[in-house]
Amino acid sequence: MGQINESEPENSVEVNWENYLKAYYAKPGSAKTWSGFDVKEIYTPDDREGKDYDKEIGNAGKYPFTRGIHGNMFRGRYWTRREVIGIGSPADTHERMKLLTDHGGSGLNTIADITYEMGLDADHPWAMSEVGLTGVNISHIKDMETLTEGIPLDKVSWSLITASTVASVTMAQYVAVAQNRGYDIEELRGSVQNDPIHFRYCGFRPACPLDLSIRLGCDVMEYCTRNMPKWYYTTVNLYDLREQGITAPQEVAFGFGIAMIYIDELVRRGLSIDEFGPRFTFYVSCHIDLFEEVAKIRAARRLWARLMKEKYGAKDPRSMQFRFAVHTAGCSLVPQQPLNNIVRISYEALAAVLAGVQSLHCCSYDEPICLPTEKGHLQALRTQQILAYETGVCNVADPLGGSYYVEELTDKIEQEAIKIMKQVEDVGGMKEAIRAEWLDREFEKEALKRQKEIEEGERLVVGVNIFTSGPETQTPLGVQRIPSESARTQIEETQELKRTRDKKRLKDRIKQLREDAEEGRNVLPAMIEATKAFATTGELMGTVRMAMGYPYDPMNILECPF
Amino acid sequence: MAEQKKIKVVISKVGLDGHDRGAKVVSSLLKEAGMEVVYLGMYQMPEDIIRAAIDEDADVIGISYLSGEHLVFTPKIVGEMKKHGLDDVLFIAGGVIPPEDIPALKEMGVSEIFVAGSLTEPLVEYISSHVRKR
Amino acid sequence: MFLPRESIEQTVQKILAGDRRTAGRLITRLEDGDEWGKEVMKSLFPRTGRAMTLGLTGAGGSGKSSLLNHLIQRFRKMGKSVGVIAVDPSSPFSGGAFLGDRIRIQHHTKDDGVYIRSMASRGYLGGLARATTEVLRLMEAMGFDVVMVETLGAGQDEIDVIRLVQTCLLVITPGMGDEIQALKAGIMEIGDIFVLNKSDLDGATQALRSIEAILSLKAFKEGEWKPKVISTVATSGEGINDLVEGIMAHQDYLHNSDAMERAAFQRVEQELGLIFRDELERVIFKGLRGTGKKRRYIRSIIEGKSDPYTIVEEILGTFLKRE
Repeated sequence: MGQINESEPENSVEVNWENYLKAYYAKPGSAKTWSGFDVKEIYTPDDREGKDYDKEIGNAGKYPFTRGIHGNMFRGRYWTRREVIGIGSPADTHERMKLLTDHGGSGLNTIADITYEMGLDADHPWAMSEVGLTGVNISHIKDMETLTEGIPLDKVSWSLITASTVASVTMAQYVAVAQNRGYDIEELRGSVQNDPIHFRYCGFRPACPLDLSIRLGCDVMEYCTRNMPKWYYTTVNLYDLREQGITAPQEVAFGFGIAMIYIDELVRRGLSIDEFGPRFTFYVSCHIDLFEEVAKIRAARRLWARLMKEKYGAKDPRSMQFRFAVHTAGCSLVPQQPLNNIVRISYEALAAVLAGVQSLHCCSYDEPICLPTEKGHLQALRTQQILAYETGVCNVADPLGGSYYVEELTDKIEQEAIKIMKQVEDVGGMKEAIRAEWLDREFEKEALKRQKEIEEGERLVVGVNIFTSGPETQTPLGVQRIPSESARTQIEETQELKRTRDKKRLKDRIKQLREDAEEGRNVLPAMIEATKAFATTGELMGTVRMAMGYPYDPMNILECPF
Repeated sequence: MAEQKKIKVVISKVGLDGHDRGAKVVSSLLKEAGMEVVYLGMYQMPEDIIRAAIDEDADVIGISYLSGEHLVFTPKIVGEMKKHGLDDVLFIAGGVIPPEDIPALKEMGVSEIFVAGSLTEPLVEYISSHVRKR
Repeated sequence: MFLPRESIEQTVQKILAGDRRTAGRLITRLEDGDEWGKEVMKSLFPRTGRAMTLGLTGAGGSGKSSLLNHLIQRFRKMGKSVGVIAVDPSSPFSGGAFLGDRIRIQHHTKDDGVYIRSMASRGYLGGLARATTEVLRLMEAMGFDVVMVETLGAGQDEIDVIRLVQTCLLVITPGMGDEIQALKAGIMEIGDIFVLNKSDLDGATQALRSIEAILSLKAFKEGEWKPKVISTVATSGEGINDLVEGIMAHQDYLHNSDAMERAAFQRVEQELGLIFRDELERVIFKGLRGTGKKRRYIRSIIEGKSDPYTIVEEILGTFLKRE
């Protein structure tokens, strides 16, 4: 080893010894959890006096599943290391997917960009300047073919992240490609996010009016329940709700409220709870307060089990299992001193694993700066792998179970969540809370509160209001750029497809879709057939929209071409 | 009866970006700092934003970018501002912007950038000291 | 720098030629209570008083902005240009304001035939901003066929808008039954048209009955306008046709009776009062500025050496003698 020459620092640092003493004697400023629960200095068996283990907690794999949905948890199989990928064109995304899979990623996970979520083709006037910047746009079957090129769809588990009403189109495009390639769709494994109701809180209201959301969301759920037994047809998204700035119990309460809207609709359509229950999944956040997040998830598991059994009369234990994926909290990350984010993400991933997650996405450290760079993306994957292979935390199911603190916190969060769900009932139910924009007000209130807590120093964030340094000038692992070539090519290909396809065949298929939509039939079969006839995303969505009384184009520019 | 001179701020999102949590919070905080904030919401095109800024006689235009669209839309916004002679209006950008892009944005004509995570006081301070006088 | 050397004449010409930027800046000067702004208004005044003026008032959450949106669309379809003044409350603590009405009508921004301006109340009571009166005049002078003023609240002390505009719409929603009862007699004065929005909700019938019951308490003279009650669902557009018809009916009534004359009278009376109060205050305090007298007066009141009434008499006495 050569000698390391420590270069002389430019300015010799003067130590403020007062600050040193302050640091030495420093202690936590707040005795509360992130969500505001007061916590004691220590929890003892007295705090758990009188609690019935079997009834209230139970072993992992046993109702009410507080400790996990499988008896052996990770001993049976690690959670899926599923990094979200969506960048540029379908070809670009395909490249990145291969890279991460090569490096040990165990699940495929592609995310729609904002143009696709809005239901716009790449050549839509509003889409052209933004396509590919935040994910991938799948305008037609050829894009889906490129995305899935060379991938054995019956072997992999593919998570398609389209949350909006366009999830119906995504499903149609995936099935169309699978069928064209000769796959038996009953063998396909994976999931589609398909939670259009919540997506209005991420923008996208033009694409996700409430009734259209319920209609299309449930069409997907119903179709998959009947035709794709290995497919998870929804991942009710609590994560995006949490990103609005709300607390842990609110995340659970509001998320469950939305889940119940779908369940009620499916039951109304004549499906029995146990027919679709086992494939109902969730997308959950893991924020920076480790114990609170673990307790939140345990509370969610118990609450969901009880809800499904007592409210909906589920009999199959698999319907009562709270099956979930975690996305570490994007809103906990900051662009100041960005490498700190790797640490935050690690703690959040740890929480997810300690909580018994089924599938995990770790943010890339550059989340608040740009789309993930290759290096950033890999780092996120490695974070998961270190957790899985080095730390040993996976050897025991629910290792924090039995902690007097964690059990106490689990109870508290469950109680608070129930209280909030009652509040929503008082407002008139979840649909009314959404329609009357009560939920919007709650989000705005909480977001403002969170910001003020930081401004006033009540909530400390390293690099933001403590231990700050000068403004960043360089992003450590570079900045991910989307080549403008990607968008241009995709736009041109879309226009070319529209010019050269068999218009008569297309028109017939669109007509069928329109009729199915108007007559209240499930639109998925017609969407699949139309996709095979080269109908584009905008055309499929526009047709259904018109049938439901909405303008063809969510941005009100294009007219229906049929 | 001489009224106190209020600072008028137009805050908007551009294009399809639907992340509005930050824009709404900043609007509230600027109100609490004594400014009059017109919030335009989402799905605005540069022409619409500038037109609103003209009709409302804004001192400041604040744009929140959270989907990587800052390099796409900034030239268009600055272009519209120039076209309508809004040379004395501050253009402040915020959100998810890599530090590498800040010099380029300023070159294009952005007055100042406050990335996500920035505290409000420096923003208020900047606006108060740089806003045009009347 | 704001229009530093531009003459009043140039400004007037620009505004009459449709220069929005100049108009926007003038409105700011009017809001500031600027001397120069007043001089411009003097020149523009002969061109005012020609538009159809509407007021839209009602509690927060009643759907005013959605209704406003529909009305703008309808008037535009009728070929009428529309000016909109949307008033929101200023925070009594910070003096700032969140002007969020524009968001629901912002898509009209593309339309040259629509001008939207948000105004903060700046502590002025009455539901309007102090300068709303002037801005309304300005929009008339700019040639807008219709000018709508959307105000905050519907409490009995927030009704300056009624004397300001020709046709005033009071927006209520089901479930406000108690508030309606409390207004009782006062409600007569508030609206020419009562709009029951969100009429698809529970309690709509009761709310309708409450208003009709109150209306029946008053005896209407022959030919007098009896306020219409119109049900709407702003989110779907239901009832908007009836609403527009109702507005036009009231406008007809105004034109075909002496009510228009009375409305104009009330408007100018209110305007005069406002401007007079402002001017008086300005002139008096201008005279006192820099002399330290104001502080001395206030101190003497605090020290019990005098009282506000005596001080004002003294000031006025000096002032009137001087003039």
